[in-house]
Amino acid sequence: MDQTSASFIDIRSVAKVYQSDTGEDVPALSSVSLKIKQGEFVSLLGPSGCGKTTLMMIVAGLSAASKGEVQIEGKKIVDPYTDIGIVFQNAELLEWRTALQNILLQMEIRKLDINTYIPIAKQLLSQVGLSGFEDRYPDELSGGMKQRVALCRALVHDPDILLMDEPFGALDAMTRDQMNIDLQRIWLEKRKTAILVTHSIDEAVFLSDRVVVMTGRPASVAEDIKIDLPRPRKLGIRDSSEFNAYTGHIREMFKDLGVFTND
Amino acid sequence: MQTEVKKKPPAKSSVRWLVPVLSILALLLLWEGVVRLLNIPIYMLPPPSKVAHVAVAESPLLFRHALSTIWAILLGFGLAVVIGIPIATLMIYSDAFNRAIYPILITAQVLPKVALAPLFIVWFGFGLIPKVLMTFLIAFFPIVVDTLAGLSAVRPESLMLLRSMGGSRWQSFWKVRLPTALPHIFSGLKIGMTFAVVGAIVAEFVASEAGLGYVLVEARASLNMVLVFAAIIWLIAIGFIFYFAVEYAERIFVKGRSTKRSQELGAGL
Ligand SMILES: Nc1ncnc2c1ncn2[C@@H]1O[C@H](COP(=O)(O)OP(=O)(O)O)[C@@H](O)[C@H]1O
Ligand SMILES: [Mg+2]
Repeated sequence: MDQTSASFIDIRSVAKVYQSDTGEDVPALSSVSLKIKQGEFVSLLGPSGCGKTTLMMIVAGLSAASKGEVQIEGKKIVDPYTDIGIVFQNAELLEWRTALQNILLQMEIRKLDINTYIPIAKQLLSQVGLSGFEDRYPDELSGGMKQRVALCRALVHDPDILLMDEPFGALDAMTRDQMNIDLQRIWLEKRKTAILVTHSIDEAVFLSDRVVVMTGRPASVAEDIKIDLPRPRKLGIRDSSEFNAYTGHIREMFKDLGVFTND
Repeated sequence: MQTEVKKKPPAKSSVRWLVPVLSILALLLLWEGVVRLLNIPIYMLPPPSKVAHVAVAESPLLFRHALSTIWAILLGFGLAVVIGIPIATLMIYSDAFNRAIYPILITAQVLPKVALAPLFIVWFGFGLIPKVLMTFLIAFFPIVVDTLAGLSAVRPESLMLLRSMGGSRWQSFWKVRLPTALPHIFSGLKIGMTFAVVGAIVAEFVASEAGLGYVLVEARASLNMVLVFAAIIWLIAIGFIFYFAVEYAERIFVKGRSTKRSQELGAGL
């Protein structure tokens, strides 16, 4: 393995300070360093408001770091990085477009030939169990369905990187489990470099090659845990002792970090 | 075992229409009855049967004046749209422009526009121009305000998404910001349209020698109350047609989302 593929995304001592409305400094990230290999699935796990979204936006080039830099394939990110698919917590579908049209927005904006991508978009929809829903408007879809469409939109142009910011946070537990299964299957097929921001320890361990535990605000990396569980993982793996060793360890860490108190 | 829940069938459209028609009919009957029973003189309150008769019998005269009013509404409203929407757009994109135009906008809004009518006569005489100008001024503000609200309603995440696709500013506006704003813009257009009718009539009261507003003033001066009411009937018809034209356009342009919100905002006026 050569040097560049060893660290496809290289987050180098990235810090971020926001200005509050009253002009005070709000430190959100304090020197985060993280290397992510091509095709790796990494979860960022940390308490709410610690700066996970901020870090993700900096990686995507949508927000500038106050200190440090992000390199992708050895190149410093200054503009929005476009070989990327992003899924936000709210699906962010455009309500005047059908499911299919929402996915094809990628093509319209990137000026790609739409007709070439219609079959690809339809195939993605069927992979997430939404065949037949191509012409539905977001208003007619459930929260889980919308998030699936958003996932298809993030993948249709076959990007190098998939960023997901608490994509399943608003879903009920059962839908969430199903989404985890679907996401793992699609990821195994396409092997995108994936960064998932999540609150759920189970979700992070279930899906990831590595779980990066972050401290409270201003965030830094508390621990970088390699998850050595065979794939494809089944939901039942969550009852295994190996799985629970990971989740238990992370829970202990959060207790030490003061995220859980009086436990 | 009964497992299926029976859905209540939606009311038939014939029944849905019957209720408002009946209520209007009842109101007219009440009016007719009161006028006849109390022997109210015709120069005070004419019965609806007489009004209807005159509204039809005098239709050549009323039509000629209605055209004049319609032109004023169309041109004034059209100007308000063509100028108002770009101004709101510039206000969103340029902070300097926003700060420059804001005080002027507010001043123009708090100023009672009818007070300008005498000036308009001096500057433009009694033709179409003062009517169009008054209509424009009155319809302008709600259109700008609602367009502003609509263009600001875009979610930052949607814009970030577009940037991550390499989208340009123009694409963000055209593909996201403007469509997001459309329901708001249409509620502004509906309010603007009802205001435009008011603007045209007010201008005709003060500074005109044609139009239904002029007919109203003249008929009242000669105590021809039946004609006054007939002109009002025509005005109501014009208002309805324009309002529903805007609503029809809304149905075509605003897709995939319930238009309830804008209907609620616009229909009260
Ligand atoms: N645009 C902003 N301006 C000021 N403060 C911000 C801004 N965005 C986020 N913050 C603050 O930075 C911290 C981290 O936010 P965020 O990255 O959204 O956290 P997380 O995604 O982990 O919940 C929070 O305290 C938040 O209030
Ligand atoms: Mg967040």
